[in-house]
Amino acid sequence: MADITLRVNGTTCTGSPEARKTLADFLRDDLNLTGTHVGCEHGACGACTVIVDGRAVRSCLMLAVQAAGREVTTIEGLAPDGGLGTLQQAMWDSHSFQCGFCTPGFVMQATAFLTGHPDASEQQIREALSGNICRCTGYQSIIDGVLLAAERNRER
Amino acid sequence: MTAIAAERYTGASIKRSEDPRILTGAGRYVDDIKLPGMLHAAFVRSPLAHAHVLSVDVSAARALPGVVAVLTGADLEAMTVRAPDPLLALFSTGGPTPEFSLLATDKVRFMGDPVAIVIAESRYLAEDGCELVEADYDDLPSVVNAAFALDPSSPPLFANLGDNIARPHSRNEFGDVAGTFAHADRVIDFHIDVHRHQNVPMEGRGCVASWDADLAAMTVYAATQSVHITRNGVAARLDIEPGQVRVLAGDIGGSFGLKIGASREELAVAAASRHLGRPVKWVEDRGENLTASGQAREESFDVRAAVSNDGDLLGLDVKMVIDTGAYPGMGTMVPDIMQAILPGPYKLEALGFESTAAITNKASYVAYRGPWASETFVRERVLDLIAKDLGLDPVEIRLRNVAARTDPPASMITGRPLVGVTTSEALERVAQIVDFPAFRRRQAQARAQGRYLGIGVATFIEAAPGPRGPGGGLGHESMRLRLTEDGIVALFTGQMPHGQSHQTTLAQIAADEFGVPFEQVRVVVGDSDVVPFGLTGGSRSATMTGGVALHGARQLKAKVLDFAAYLMEASAQDLLITDGNIWVRGDPASAIAVSEVARRAASGPFGADVDAKLEVEATYDGGEGGWSGGTHCAIVAVDAETGIVKVERYVAVEDCGALINPAVVEGQIRGGVAQGIGAVLLERSAYGEDGSFQSATFMDYLMPTTCDVPRIEIEHLETVPLDADVNFRGVGEGGMIVAPPTVVNAIEDALSPFGVRIYEQHLPPARILELIATAE
Amino acid sequence: MKLPPVEYEAPRCVAEAIDLLAEHLDEASVLAGGQSLIPLLALRLARPAVLIDINGIDELSGMSATDGWVTIGAMTREYVAEESESVADAVPLLAAALPLIGHDAIRSRGTIGGSLAHADPAAELPAVARALDAEFVVRGPSGERVIPAAQWFEGFLTTSRRPDELLVAVRFPAARRGTGISFQEVARRHGDFAIVGLAVSLVLSGGVISDARLAFAGLSDVPVRATAAEDLLVGERPSTELFDEAARRATDDVDPPADLHGSSDYRKTVAAAIVRRGLRAATDNARERQ
Repeated sequence: MADITLRVNGTTCTGSPEARKTLADFLRDDLNLTGTHVGCEHGACGACTVIVDGRAVRSCLMLAVQAAGREVTTIEGLAPDGGLGTLQQAMWDSHSFQCGFCTPGFVMQATAFLTGHPDASEQQIREALSGNICRCTGYQSIIDGVLLAAERNRER
Repeated sequence: MTAIAAERYTGASIKRSEDPRILTGAGRYVDDIKLPGMLHAAFVRSPLAHAHVLSVDVSAARALPGVVAVLTGADLEAMTVRAPDPLLALFSTGGPTPEFSLLATDKVRFMGDPVAIVIAESRYLAEDGCELVEADYDDLPSVVNAAFALDPSSPPLFANLGDNIARPHSRNEFGDVAGTFAHADRVIDFHIDVHRHQNVPMEGRGCVASWDADLAAMTVYAATQSVHITRNGVAARLDIEPGQVRVLAGDIGGSFGLKIGASREELAVAAASRHLGRPVKWVEDRGENLTASGQAREESFDVRAAVSNDGDLLGLDVKMVIDTGAYPGMGTMVPDIMQAILPGPYKLEALGFESTAAITNKASYVAYRGPWASETFVRERVLDLIAKDLGLDPVEIRLRNVAARTDPPASMITGRPLVGVTTSEALERVAQIVDFPAFRRRQAQARAQGRYLGIGVATFIEAAPGPRGPGGGLGHESMRLRLTEDGIVALFTGQMPHGQSHQTTLAQIAADEFGVPFEQVRVVVGDSDVVPFGLTGGSRSATMTGGVALHGARQLKAKVLDFAAYLMEASAQDLLITDGNIWVRGDPASAIAVSEVARRAASGPFGADVDAKLEVEATYDGGEGGWSGGTHCAIVAVDAETGIVKVERYVAVEDCGALINPAVVEGQIRGGVAQGIGAVLLERSAYGEDGSFQSATFMDYLMPTTCDVPRIEIEHLETVPLDADVNFRGVGEGGMIVAPPTVVNAIEDALSPFGVRIYEQHLPPARILELIATAE
Repeated sequence: MKLPPVEYEAPRCVAEAIDLLAEHLDEASVLAGGQSLIPLLALRLARPAVLIDINGIDELSGMSATDGWVTIGAMTREYVAEESESVADAVPLLAAALPLIGHDAIRSRGTIGGSLAHADPAAELPAVARALDAEFVVRGPSGERVIPAAQWFEGFLTTSRRPDELLVAVRFPAARRGTGISFQEVARRHGDFAIVGLAVSLVLSGGVISDARLAFAGLSDVPVRATAAEDLLVGERPSTELFDEAARRATDDVDPPADLHGSSDYRKTVAAAIVRRGLRAATDNARERQ
């Protein structure tokens, strides 16, 4: 086990995870950030998506030790002081989610995508989110939330 | 949260109170639970489908540092008692029940059957421990399909049953079956297969069980559709009183019928916790969820249809075989439900129905959203096939056969009255929304260019909760409603939402009835010590729980007004509650906040003639109940060179009664349709000929994505109100029931130039090309 | 599905990585992007004793274009290559294939070298490398050597990299004037591995095909060049009949695998269809690029 230091949601964190421990498990177990969910543990569902150094990443496909020195953002770190960011608010307004288990992964993936593609079309949004699985919604309400957030971002 | 200034919440798409926590990662799911001293469990599972267990050597596993205990099937038998599945105990139809243990003891009966439980300091270590358990098996021939299971030469999975029949063959007839078939212009035979697929919630099964030896009390943090059914299941197996078990559930990551009662694994975890005197957590991983949690829908049907030359569907005679897997449960109940509603909204004169349930070396058949859905698949496929044979349009043949809405209503030949059914209106509305003639022109043009477009229609009704009538009552639903000391209208319900948004919808109803803002209502769920008995399932909650919330809120309001009348020295009849204030009609200055009245009620004592206990126990019997239903239409594009199918357009016209929250209703419909699309194009729980399970990862069990599910256009029909107050009907299952035949009908239409006829539900690209090749 | 116990090394330079590889040989797995390796570990299908994490070796990143070749460092992230203008310009076939690799989050971590060293025959990059005759630069204790694509892919998930060698870079030839490309993929869903895929690169001069490269993904245990079809095409003018015949020749002798997603016959049928489509698309692309 090696000591690692990383920044998570703007705070410097340390830990001593086994090399085999995934970033997903490290966030959930060692840092008590249970907002990141584990859906498949083989990188196929996107529920565990976080942002590392500005890029969306499947935290089940990264070892915790690989995050040493990196800047990690999880769902808990998105909104200022317990409020809701633009995307989260737009998703609330759009009834984007039902059971909520896939939600953090979608929010993080969409956040990363909108940062790079603020004027994306619906088709582009669908393709960008095609690696996140939701079993409850049929996706339309999620897409609507992302489109609404993009529109509101443009209005600023 | 800012106050919502809606005059009436009911009927509006009020934003969900669940969402702020969901959207910020503050939800509490079972895997988020951490208790001091908590251990983690993993299961050793059989790699074989059918085998004797010769020995299970756990010594190396027990010696691994970090492993605290390893228990075998025999160990668990010694610390538990046999008990029936609690869900079956509620709904059982009788018949032989195979005896089985929590973990396999002498036999394993499907690939993934748990053989030992390893409890360790972490899940990582528990899995390491599992690898060190040495189980020795003596392979037996596998029973991998129902046909072989029904063959007397197949090796019986359960010694006490002697054969592989989970429920003996039965036949029922309704109407004059022989006469109807004798006099029909045509009798057509079909064989239709529905494939095995499964629930796949994004969160698997799991629990944290915590035994307190001092109190002899078990607490289970569960993911379940009913805290009470889980409680009963745990108590029964552990041979303790239900009162010694408390089941708590927070947020649940979907279920779709999977998480009811307590699975063998969860019971083993509870027993392990008691044995060790420490909390034990088990949350299944995706491999376990796909392999062992249970599967659904594997049914086959021999159908005879008695038809007139003009397209009247006079009678159906159906022989059904259901593959219930190795540890039969829900599967034995499904044929009865199907039989009862197979006629659907049509004027069927006669129905013969026989069924057999077979036991095979596969994971158990479990309830999956609309467990009876194959009745709609069979009926709607048959109608399309008959229409093609007779040269009739698919909408026309359905309109022809729908029972007219009469007063008194016609009944299904199986007994239930078709009261308030709006199938004809739904069919006609679909035909208006989707310009069929224009599509046919576009289809012809596309065919000329070698592109294959198709359109499909299917219709259904669902007993959500079903009409009151000769079929019997609708059961009842309980709720406790209390005006708390701080002025909150609290609803205590046995409903256990796992995506249904009950904490929002029930609050909407109660807020409207009582007269407080939406934010002043709190829906309390998920504690078996606190809430009344309930189960979220069967698309009942809109009517049953919506109804008890409505009537209960009225009763609570009456009580509160009686008390307020005492406080305000007014007559209760003269008092109103609006926007959280109680005031005397005509005298706005008299207004007192509901919260103030609540505070005063809590600061008694009062005289014997003053009832300051602001709480009611309400029950509701479903009122007039009613059907939900609808007609769906899909347009697909089939690439005849690759077999890839795209759903281009999807329209749903639904009647699910009065809408509590349109956005919630539409979300339920869309999610169900997505599962139906997934079933047809992507999802299959595949077993090899040796019983090996082949769909244990998301690379093999393919889930529909944003690129597979189109925008779904939804229209709500104005319903026929049956009840003075409660006309909400359930919508949770309909999308998944009717989407598969809708999409399959469209695919068959697309492939009609090739003469393709489809008698199955799973149509991956390779199968599409096979159908084209064999039809030509 | 937790990873099994494993030792972990994080060398800071190529030399250190090679030393570790030489020490552990077949007991070690190189961890690059991890998008293929970590699932194998989670499913406990791979059991290396040691993971050699090369993410900290800066000299393995970076791209350069010289002398008609584009050299891509093995640790170049797929998304970086995807966003690269010089890749879009000089290796358009690679640019066309990259967006098809999994999903955005996979490409955040996945690497060009990692995908090619993993050598999944159903993946996109092996087909591209095989079509373009890319060159693989490996370094070992005895120095550096360059392996052409035809010799790189040896079998299912097997390359000719020796256990003590590290793939440090991959070189792609820059597209010549008149090049037209297409990457065809038939997959169950957007982002999935190809059931069958095809990398096509043509050169048209004066309306005549002067160079033709077709490499399949998913038809065998390695990416496969359709040489019989290529031979047919060179020297001919594009036409439907020509492409139909090319499709026949490309699939006559193939014996594709069967699995849950398709039978052998299915793959063969689809392979022929995507040859026709790929050749049409590459021809159109050549005209657009002029």
